[in-house]
Amino acid sequence: MFGYVRAFKPYMRVCEFDTYQGVYCGLCKKMGREFGLVSRLTLSYDFTFLALMNMSLNNLSLTACRQRCIVHPLKKRVCAVCENGLEYPAYAAVILVYHKLRDDLADRGLKHKLRAAAALPFFRRFYKKARIKYPQLADTIEEQMKLQRATEQEKTQSIDKACEPTAAMMAEIACGLCNKEESKPVLKRFGYLLGRYIYICDALDDVKEDYKKRGYNPLLFLCSDGDSDVLSDRDFKALCDYAADSVNFTLGELAEAYVKLDIQMYKPIVDNIIYLGLKYVFEQIQKGTYRRKIKQDKQ
Amino acid sequence: MNDPYKVLGVSPNATDDEIKTAYKELVKKYHPDQYQDSPIADVAEEKMAEVNAAYDQIMQQRKSGGYSSGSSYGGGGGYSSVNYQEIRRMIQNGDITRADGLLDAVAQGQRGAEWYFLKGSVCYTRGWLNDAYTNFQTAYRMQPGNPEYQAAVNQMNQQRGGFMRGTPNPGYQTQAAGPMDCCTTLCCADCCCEMMGGDLISCC
Repeated sequence: MFGYVRAFKPYMRVCEFDTYQGVYCGLCKKMGREFGLVSRLTLSYDFTFLALMNMSLNNLSLTACRQRCIVHPLKKRVCAVCENGLEYPAYAAVILVYHKLRDDLADRGLKHKLRAAAALPFFRRFYKKARIKYPQLADTIEEQMKLQRATEQEKTQSIDKACEPTAAMMAEIACGLCNKEESKPVLKRFGYLLGRYIYICDALDDVKEDYKKRGYNPLLFLCSDGDSDVLSDRDFKALCDYAADSVNFTLGELAEAYVKLDIQMYKPIVDNIIYLGLKYVFEQIQKGTYRRKIKQDKQ
Repeated sequence: MNDPYKVLGVSPNATDDEIKTAYKELVKKYHPDQYQDSPIADVAEEKMAEVNAAYDQIMQQRKSGGYSSGSSYGGGGGYSSVNYQEIRRMIQNGDITRADGLLDAVAQGQRGAEWYFLKGSVCYTRGWLNDAYTNFQTAYRMQPGNPEYQAAVNQMNQQRGGFMRGTPNPGYQTQAAGPMDCCTTLCCADCCCEMMGGDLISCC
């Protein structure tokens, strides 16, 4: 579910990329301080985006410092420090990951199950802490996760309906980014559409596996019910096209909401993610070259 | 007399504030001071009178029971018992659940182009974009001449082609948009903004 919201590096200036990575490292450190080492392992670039949006909407500037960290012990890395700006994304990440792990434990393959089983004891503790701080967010996400499971059991054929819980979840998360009442409706729509994008990407990414295992996937109703275990190329192409249309509608609307938000700081980076990164990730999924983890470049 | 909304260049479901801004813009445009010694002074004067009359008419209508003019359309032919104006207003005010309930209550056989358009608007507001597109398309197919339906379909077609507003890197887009596309996009976006209660290009 995570890892679809990231920047498109070739179009980034070096200073922008440094900031981007610095925010990632800063967020990672912040999670380490708030929750502990295990939480850091689950961090994805999605939450870096959230952190950038948070700092931008609240006009929080960051200070850079060079620090060592466990993942990169040899070389000091630039690390963003911004106490207020990184807290919300860190907590949101923990809440989301906790629910995601619970979901994995319930209905994913063995590999995911093992990983979830190993991480859950820690995350139960983190989640308790996060829940005290953001009770409404935690409740909404819990409720939407339940809805998500219900929709998937219902095997709805409408992609709009299938997206709804994830989208509503992201809408709630985006809503918490800014306390100004007047920008909440736009943020909500922005979050909703971002969640919709994430869900469609996830659906297309998993479609081959779901077909093989006869699992639920909102895109699979498009293809003929064959006996073979492998999705035929023609069917895959058809549902790729359908997913592409849905993603394009979603991104078009996302941009409509985005231009209404008052983004000043870090605008080039956020622009890059919105206008290039999202499209690029989807293209990669279509081509089958998408990787969840980006290899860190040697610096 | 002409449709007062057309004179001001706003949609019948625009908010009072939008109408006011549109009115102010037009007044600025046609103000006699600007046309002193100009050969088209009398045309401007005529326009000005028209704009004033339209504005007064709309404001009067709205004071005396909202969108009363709308009901006369629907009631005239007696072709439907559904008050689409009412539903339209609900969508505007964000009362999506009620609007959707009223729409769903309409029997399958009675669903006209407007029904599909409003259903599409409900889906659009919810963020159910795939359903919205299908409904807008159906509405447009049933009534191809309607500019409102066309604008909605056009906007979504643009997005389907990968258009994203405000992109700073147009070169990266897979499909290059010609100058014509640009204009239609703006018009469509304006129509859609107006549909949602905002306004992008205040002069039209």
